[in-house]
Amino acid sequence: MNTDIHNLTAIEITQKISEGHLSAEDVVKHYLQRIEKHNPALGAFLRTCSDKAFEQAKKIDAKRQRKEKLGRLAGVPIAFKDNIHIFGELSTCASKFLTNFKAPFNSTVADLLEAEDAIFIGKTNMDEFAMGSSTENSALQRTCNPWDLKCTPGGSSGGSAAAVAAHLTCLALGSDTGGSIRQPASFCGVVGYKPTYGRVSRYGLVAYGSSLDQIGPFGKTVRDAAHVMSIMGAPCDRDSTSLSDPAQDYTSGLRQDLKGIKIGVPWAFLEDLAPEAKKAFNDGIERMKGLGAQIVEIDLSILKYSIATYYIIATAEASTNLARFDGVRYGVRSPHAKNLDEVYELSKEEGFGDEVKRRILLGTFVLSSGYQDAYYKKAQKMRTLIIQKYNEAFKKCDLIATPTSPFDAFETGSIKDPLQMYLEDIYTISLNLAGLPGISIPNGLSAKGKPLGIQLTGPQRGDATVFACAHAFETVSPKLIAPMVIS
Amino acid sequence: MNEWEAVIGLEIHAELNTKSKLFSAAPNRFGDEPNTNISEVCTGQPGALPVLNKEAVRKAVQFGSAINGQVCKFSKFDRKSYFYPDSPRNFQITQYDEPIIKGGTIIAEVEGKEHSFAVNRVHLEDDAGMLKHFPAFAGVDYNRAGVPLIEIVSEPCMHSAQEAVAYAQAVKAILEYIDASDCNMEEGSLRFDVNISVRPKGDKTLWTKIEIKNLNSFNYLALAVESEIKRQIKEYTQNSNKPHQEVISQATYRWDVENKETVLMRRKEQADDYRYFPEPDLPPIILTDAYIDEIRKSLPELPLQRERRYVTALGLPAHTAFTLTYDKPIADYFEAALKYTKNAKALSNWIVTEFTGRFKETGKTLVTSGIPAAHVGELINMIDEGTITGKIAKSVADEMVANPGKDPQAIVDSNPDFKPLSDSGEIEKMVNQVLAENPQSIIDYKAGRDKAFAFLVGQIMKMTRGKASPQLVNDLLKAKINALK
Repeated sequence: MNTDIHNLTAIEITQKISEGHLSAEDVVKHYLQRIEKHNPALGAFLRTCSDKAFEQAKKIDAKRQRKEKLGRLAGVPIAFKDNIHIFGELSTCASKFLTNFKAPFNSTVADLLEAEDAIFIGKTNMDEFAMGSSTENSALQRTCNPWDLKCTPGGSSGGSAAAVAAHLTCLALGSDTGGSIRQPASFCGVVGYKPTYGRVSRYGLVAYGSSLDQIGPFGKTVRDAAHVMSIMGAPCDRDSTSLSDPAQDYTSGLRQDLKGIKIGVPWAFLEDLAPEAKKAFNDGIERMKGLGAQIVEIDLSILKYSIATYYIIATAEASTNLARFDGVRYGVRSPHAKNLDEVYELSKEEGFGDEVKRRILLGTFVLSSGYQDAYYKKAQKMRTLIIQKYNEAFKKCDLIATPTSPFDAFETGSIKDPLQMYLEDIYTISLNLAGLPGISIPNGLSAKGKPLGIQLTGPQRGDATVFACAHAFETVSPKLIAPMVIS
Repeated sequence: MNEWEAVIGLEIHAELNTKSKLFSAAPNRFGDEPNTNISEVCTGQPGALPVLNKEAVRKAVQFGSAINGQVCKFSKFDRKSYFYPDSPRNFQITQYDEPIIKGGTIIAEVEGKEHSFAVNRVHLEDDAGMLKHFPAFAGVDYNRAGVPLIEIVSEPCMHSAQEAVAYAQAVKAILEYIDASDCNMEEGSLRFDVNISVRPKGDKTLWTKIEIKNLNSFNYLALAVESEIKRQIKEYTQNSNKPHQEVISQATYRWDVENKETVLMRRKEQADDYRYFPEPDLPPIILTDAYIDEIRKSLPELPLQRERRYVTALGLPAHTAFTLTYDKPIADYFEAALKYTKNAKALSNWIVTEFTGRFKETGKTLVTSGIPAAHVGELINMIDEGTITGKIAKSVADEMVANPGKDPQAIVDSNPDFKPLSDSGEIEKMVNQVLAENPQSIIDYKAGRDKAFAFLVGQIMKMTRGKASPQLVNDLLKAKINALK
């Protein structure tokens, strides 16, 4: 039935298409109509790729006619955050600097997904160059939270999270450097996954923090996210930090219970949680116990240094990753520049937003002569300690559970202090420092009716365990569907 | 001058002749249309990532092994930040504090003796693109951006322009022998930066050094070093009332070819802070003992080994052997010619002195002249067999140079003047004539004056227009003169 298309999971869509109940073209038409209707208010999509989507759909339908084998994501629309390349489509990174920049090559994830007949439905909004926790730093447009249009969808992958939550796409990709998939997933009541560092190729992802970035999926269900990860999580010879482990099917080990599983909780670290968040988290833990999990206390007090550590390392790497945006080779060059120095200075002045400038300045500072030892090198040492502490914790447990975010979605414009914004990421940020896989799963609603999330963290290369256990938790957790979808 | 000592260090950048670039699959080729040998990686496109070229690592290790340096089993890359249009990412990927090779020795010939020079380190890094200036704008060609470089840094252990050039030539020779680089200085695949300071002889401290960048010929290297040493000494002696630290300040210079002087480019106070930090997109290079051993064992014959072989097996004097072997193309040419004659000594002399001298002003070398090595070998043979005299051979060599490809036998056949006079009958007639015309010389010789004999030989040789074999003339004259009363 046509009205239900946007409520189908990815796996359901592929099934219906292969059984002939649905055509890929139907799916594309349906989603594009929905986007046309709802995106103006929501601002999740920056633009759709309708030409490409119809082209892909036609190919899939023709394949089906010829009774050829269809890919594992046949006919499933997937949205890409605007910092992940689809060849020939704009990759603006939500920055004025790149409003004219067309991706000169396909990202590895685009290659992998296209090979499985996925449909690229559009590019989504984000914080500029992935720097932010609310998508408010986008230089192009505002994105609203489908649960409450006055609120942010979280960030930096807010557009992708909102698109999935509003059922404007079945799946979406985001990038996660300090929580940029998991936090918006939590704010929007969807599943968001960050892989083990190196599990998904970064080739074709515009780099922000090279040693921290990962591409990951948003989905309505854990199974859908696991399905996409089974395809995207593969070795890539164009990314030297890519893991050589062969791709794995994460959907095959999904659990119904947590018997024999030890869940580590850093209770001391969660002491300062607001009562509402604490209650929701505790309820979630109780449900895990109900599934047979053993809850173990672990010490992660070192994580109080994780935000400072992150903002030193990430900005240092970003200051060099963004140095290439100089107005010389691509992007928008200032029309006022009269010589080389002005090309550099004015293009950057006019092209970058405040938060980007802030982080480039900070990153340059922490690397500069006389300060590098005290800041960058110190932060790297702290990073090693954080990794060690996590290793110790995982000796006692299989997964670690925390809330994804201390709060539910906040109102647009309500957080003006950049440092306060940085504190949003307190539970998510250390996973990127330690290269650990993590998922955010919906964990009920706050009193204001906005989603909360629980985060499960695994040891490095523990992606399968994370999915397996997240699935079990999902079966005993309330299913969240944004009101605008039901109405 | 004699109270002062120069302290010189060389940084040599050599482009490795790998098929593709250091971190990108784009072709590593010189001379093509601008911006055709490029990829998303070496033009710094957002979303592109570096992937290390294994061939480049191999060549760096080969070079390190060839100079008996320490091949580091762990080395890593760093980002070096600076803004310039020829830098696609506005940071270079280089090796800052953990290079792939540490230490090493370069042995070269200086003033006829073997001299050991110490190398501090060798590391890998990627080259920048090239700026091209047009009347209304500047353009950047990224063909060269990303080309693999090894930077070879010496200890400050040279003390003269001679030593600097000898060291540089030795480095070039090694690179050519292991086929790691084209070493084409005109095309920029081999570049020298030199650091120079002077100090009073006996002073063990290092005085302020300046840097001269991008010298691209041995000649310019020598000229620049000599000119700069003179300049610094002059500065110090003219400002002897000032403390030496205030006389010369750290700066970077370039060599002005026209005016033959060093010209200031920038003062060191404006030096960049490169903000080095480890490259997060590349894991460290980890080499195994097996890998290093295999490379060491499979090194080809190196210049010094070849030099020693020429001395011991072929009996060449050390200086000739060095001159040949430290210029690989000429050594290869020599060995090719050696297939045609057994007289290695004579052959080496003719190559190093006679032929090299003939090409001096032409801009060509024997190797590039078009004269096949076989012809040179043949020439030596013809002298040894007595087919021509040494004197005639010089004229034949002139012909060979004027008409490369014309073989010596053909040259001799086509020119009656080049046929040696070996008919003893003919020579005897001339001996008789000369004796008849110079009675006083006979008397002088009989009286014990050997000079008179040489005079007579000279007269006979003149009469034969140099075509007679000197040995034959000597023998015949001796016989005749002794037979006289």
